[in-house]
Amino acid sequence: MSEAVLSVAQLSVAYPAGDGWLRALDDVSFEVGAGRALGVVGESGSGKSTTALAVLGLLAPEAHIAGGDIRFKGESLFALPDAERRALRGNRISIVFQDPFASLNPSIPVGRQIAEPLVLHKGLSDASAGAEVRRLLAEVGIANPLQVALAYPHQLSGGMKQRALIATALACSPELLVLDEPTTALDVTIEAQILDLLEKLRHDRGLSILYITHNLGVVARICDDVCVLYAGRVVETGTTQSVLRKPRHPYTKGLLASLPRVAERKQRLAPIPGRFPDLAAPPPGCIFHPRCHFAVERCASEAQTLTDDAHAVRCWRADELADAAWQAPAEHADVVTERAVAIQGTLPLVKVVGLSKEFRLGGMFNSSRVQAVDGVTLQVAPGEVLGLVGESGCGKSTLGRMLIGLIEPSAGTIGIAGGSPQNNRRAAQIIFQNPDSSLNPRKTVEAIVGRPLVLHGLASGGDLRTRVVELLEMVRLSPAYLSRYPHQLSGGEKQRVGIARAIATSPKFIVCDEAVSALDVSVQAYVLNVLADLRDRLNVAYLFISHDLSVIAHIADRVAVMYRGAIVEEGAVDEVLGPPFHPYTEALLSAIPDVERASRFQRIRLRGDAVEQDRSVRGCRFQHRCPRKIGAICENETPPVIEPSPGHRIACHIPLGNLDTTLVAGNAL
Amino acid sequence: MLAYTLKRLTYIAVILVVMSMLIFWATQVMPGDVAQMIVGQFATDDQIRAVRSRLHLDDPIHVQYLRWASGLLQGDLGVSMMMDRPIGPLIRDAILRSAVLAGISIVFVAVVGIWLGVYSAVRRGSKTDQAISIASYFFISVPEFFWAIVVILVFAGMLGWFPATGYAAMSEGFWTWLQHIILPVATLVSGLVAHVSRLTRSSMIETMQSQYVTAARAKGLPENVVIRRHALRNALVPTITVLAIDVGLLMGGIVVVETVFSYPGLGRLLIFAIEQKDIPVVQAGILSVTAVYALANLAADLLYALFNPRIRYGDSLAR
Amino acid sequence: MATRWPASLVVGASVFGAVVIAALLGPHIAPFPYDGMDIMARFLPPDATHWLGTDEFGRDVLSRLLYGGRLSLLMGIGATLVSLVAGVPLGLAAGYYGGRVDETIMRAIDLVISVPPILMGILILSMTPPNPWKTALAVGIIYVPIMVRLTRGVTLELASEEFVLAARARGERAWYILGAEILPNAWPPIIVESALRVTFAIMLGAALSFLGLGVHPPASDWGLMIAESRPFIDSAPWVALAPGCVLCVTVIAVNLMGDGLREILDPRLKRGRG
Repeated sequence: MSEAVLSVAQLSVAYPAGDGWLRALDDVSFEVGAGRALGVVGESGSGKSTTALAVLGLLAPEAHIAGGDIRFKGESLFALPDAERRALRGNRISIVFQDPFASLNPSIPVGRQIAEPLVLHKGLSDASAGAEVRRLLAEVGIANPLQVALAYPHQLSGGMKQRALIATALACSPELLVLDEPTTALDVTIEAQILDLLEKLRHDRGLSILYITHNLGVVARICDDVCVLYAGRVVETGTTQSVLRKPRHPYTKGLLASLPRVAERKQRLAPIPGRFPDLAAPPPGCIFHPRCHFAVERCASEAQTLTDDAHAVRCWRADELADAAWQAPAEHADVVTERAVAIQGTLPLVKVVGLSKEFRLGGMFNSSRVQAVDGVTLQVAPGEVLGLVGESGCGKSTLGRMLIGLIEPSAGTIGIAGGSPQNNRRAAQIIFQNPDSSLNPRKTVEAIVGRPLVLHGLASGGDLRTRVVELLEMVRLSPAYLSRYPHQLSGGEKQRVGIARAIATSPKFIVCDEAVSALDVSVQAYVLNVLADLRDRLNVAYLFISHDLSVIAHIADRVAVMYRGAIVEEGAVDEVLGPPFHPYTEALLSAIPDVERASRFQRIRLRGDAVEQDRSVRGCRFQHRCPRKIGAICENETPPVIEPSPGHRIACHIPLGNLDTTLVAGNAL
Repeated sequence: MLAYTLKRLTYIAVILVVMSMLIFWATQVMPGDVAQMIVGQFATDDQIRAVRSRLHLDDPIHVQYLRWASGLLQGDLGVSMMMDRPIGPLIRDAILRSAVLAGISIVFVAVVGIWLGVYSAVRRGSKTDQAISIASYFFISVPEFFWAIVVILVFAGMLGWFPATGYAAMSEGFWTWLQHIILPVATLVSGLVAHVSRLTRSSMIETMQSQYVTAARAKGLPENVVIRRHALRNALVPTITVLAIDVGLLMGGIVVVETVFSYPGLGRLLIFAIEQKDIPVVQAGILSVTAVYALANLAADLLYALFNPRIRYGDSLAR
Repeated sequence: MATRWPASLVVGASVFGAVVIAALLGPHIAPFPYDGMDIMARFLPPDATHWLGTDEFGRDVLSRLLYGGRLSLLMGIGATLVSLVAGVPLGLAAGYYGGRVDETIMRAIDLVISVPPILMGILILSMTPPNPWKTALAVGIIYVPIMVRLTRGVTLELASEEFVLAARARGERAWYILGAEILPNAWPPIIVESALRVTFAIMLGAALSFLGLGVHPPASDWGLMIAESRPFIDSAPWVALAPGCVLCVTVIAVNLMGDGLREILDPRLKRGRG
């Protein structure tokens, strides 16, 4: 192997916490080979961002490097004086951060921000830097470089900002590019564009890449090698192929088993139980053993070291467990996998006709109107899960909130179990996205879960506590949680308390508004199982709103695809996820970075971003980004609804025969 | 932007009309009979009646208001009852003298306050930062009127460097003018500098922790460039809002300082008029202060827009 | 949860507590009547009998200070209470209901704000004969807009929190949502702001008294004491310095208290995993 561009050896980083130290990184070692891409994967708290900052030399002043070394082309970075370290930054080592919305200075034109490293490191004049900036912007796929260079950040969409930041990072032709979750804040179709760009740049420029992410699918697409971090320790490292195909560490196995996949949507998820360890007081022995069902006595006493083979692992039982799969925790065993409930033929529980919502946006200098939801008609049967998928700003949350009476519709009717949302509060409930915001921080779990019961007079006195305990049981929380406050709970636990509160009134219909989106994969799987379990036990119907088609595919019976306020395709899961497709559904499916890499779908990329570029509602609302636009008809006429099979509806001008045929070509098997 | 400014100006006009009514009504219920005060305690009823009818004090209140308001619109602020002089020039001179005091102070507060704030934010946790923090804590807690007395005691009384009170026009010589204005300015700015520097410090610290500042460091920019080019401008945006609030505090301070230092500005005129129940002066005085204050706030908002491109350039480029 | 009290809170609260207790007990512990004149004992510097000296009428400065403290603190705390009682409900209503309610309240607030604070005080106080309760009321009214804006801002933020949406989704009434869901979470910033307001109110009340718009002689608060001693500042500085220093110490103590409260109440510091 040629000399590594970057090699991190036994790196330990600690932050002061109370009276002691919090070990964010402990004995972390990895290498980025020349021209190779290494993915550093981990869930929140794994220390992956600390790693990125350590490589750049941008750790917060209170961070303490407790040991180890980082070498860039053989030279120790810690030994360099500050000025020389700075001369490397943005020049030979550069970085792209996670949040493009926060990474650009709001008061400086974008072009000048991109030019900064050129002027600084390469000594370019302002004029020649300006020309170079336009060339770079064109290279990262910006169609109008001159305009974008002169624009202020708030005038650009998220995708354009991230392209501009990539251009900044590439400005001085760095030898190492660090990418810290560069697509996490973006919509899936934009993510796909950026990943394409990164792949192309990598091959055009022969970049060496350190790619920090939580998303195994992205790693599978971009990286040659992967290094799995858990609680600041490298638990497994090797080539992407071998780690993802034949994971050796129980944690990696668990992570992969937790991942919902479009291709294997009927398979059960096997989450990792338990809580993330306290890094200020880590458990003795293997850091993962408290959550590992393979753990034996020796795991708790003996610290683990990374083996030094090509596919290294930090687990002494790795070889004997080579063929063992990650098992779902015992309490998840009773989860029904396949839906047995027959949904067809029953009267709809939720009936929505022509629902619209227009918002007025007031600005300091002007005001405008936005049609958030536009004439949506849909039905949900008792016990049915309707998945609602769409990108940010498509109106899916507004729709969900109208269904439970949180937002007044501008037009249309909503019927829930024969009534309106307002006079049917008990029957319709909601589960929210953000575990940190969904529980009142000043109330105990008992008060939170008990309140709906008290409000609707469903239980009182000693009965109340019994009922609350029952509800907690249903979301797999022990009675010990009764007296806890939200800040004493982990994200997954908070989300489960939110679920217990929602089911307290025995509702028939629950809107799950991105209910698992803010959670780490292993926790998300746990909550998804809880939700699936409740669906079957209580025969409750869900409107399951998500931007993540894999999650929807996993839990939904039927799927509705929403684009700019309207539903463009609707049908049973198998129908929507298979041809014929609406062009947008097709693009969404093809945009999902799949762990199996061999995507079943052709790569279909959408132009531009889903911003309200044109507020006129003439023609098809997808026409501006549609890769299969057929002509003037798309601009002028509202697309007709075609029904390839009963219950499967597509709103598109393209003749059904064409929607059906073009897709499978070239990637059958 | 122009439309916005016009909208705001209209709004200010509305506020001034409402305020004028309020002021007029409030001053009418002020204790004491004006006519009585003008003619003195031992005047006859006839004399009082004569004064009342000369000043139209017996008309219904809305008639009095309309007469006063139409006068205002024609630039006629009325006549001071006690001084028997037209109020227009009286107030104009007072405003100009107060404006000098306020102008010097606000510039000093902005420059020194911001500089101190940035300095201590950049050297956060250092000895200098701590010293500045403690000093600003102290200065924020000392009321102007007490501070004025202490300053007079020390610099005028004990050291004899400056005159304790009074005012000198620029025509009497720059040095004389400066001597007279130094103590009032020092009193006015002490608390405000502390206020501005504390807020600038915290806003600067917050900005220094933002992602785009980290991104700027990741480009390899030296720290002073990161601070000057990337942090400072954005950190100043909230400071501008604070400066606008401080204009209000400054006006309160001016009333006190002018009274203590016998500085013949608008504040002292107002207090004098209230003591003397010189209602036309009180009315005109309060109304002009309100107008100045509203305009200062508008100026701050426009300045805010100038520093914030999000407001200057609205349209999105995204396609 | 083991809370370590911040030093600033401990120091600030004990000093402020001491000032409050001294002021409350003032009439009982004052060595002389506050208006007891003694022509023979004018301008006595501090000594064993008159710990803080005497003023131009031979009145004991310490006794006047203790009595005056009651009025000054009354104005400070009373004014803050006024602004809380009027401002918090208005802010809650404006933030929660939005729309026309918000518009009406905020326009009214804009009107009050368009007058500089001290002028507002002058305007209110010049109408009728002064008394300390009225000063407290006037200063309180001046600070209502600040409380409304603060409460409105916090309420707006909290109203979009998911736990409030959840309460609305289960059909809670507005009073329950405001009282049980929003208010308990809105208190921290309001309390911190109130501490700050107490200091501003004490200073503004004293300033108004100083300008002759607060209490009237022979009654006394700290502001008036300083005003009365102004002509004699060179010959008898202790008469002005005593109330001035006590005023400053009180203000610093309340500021410290506010900072300490901010430290333990700031939700941004509290959020995070358990």
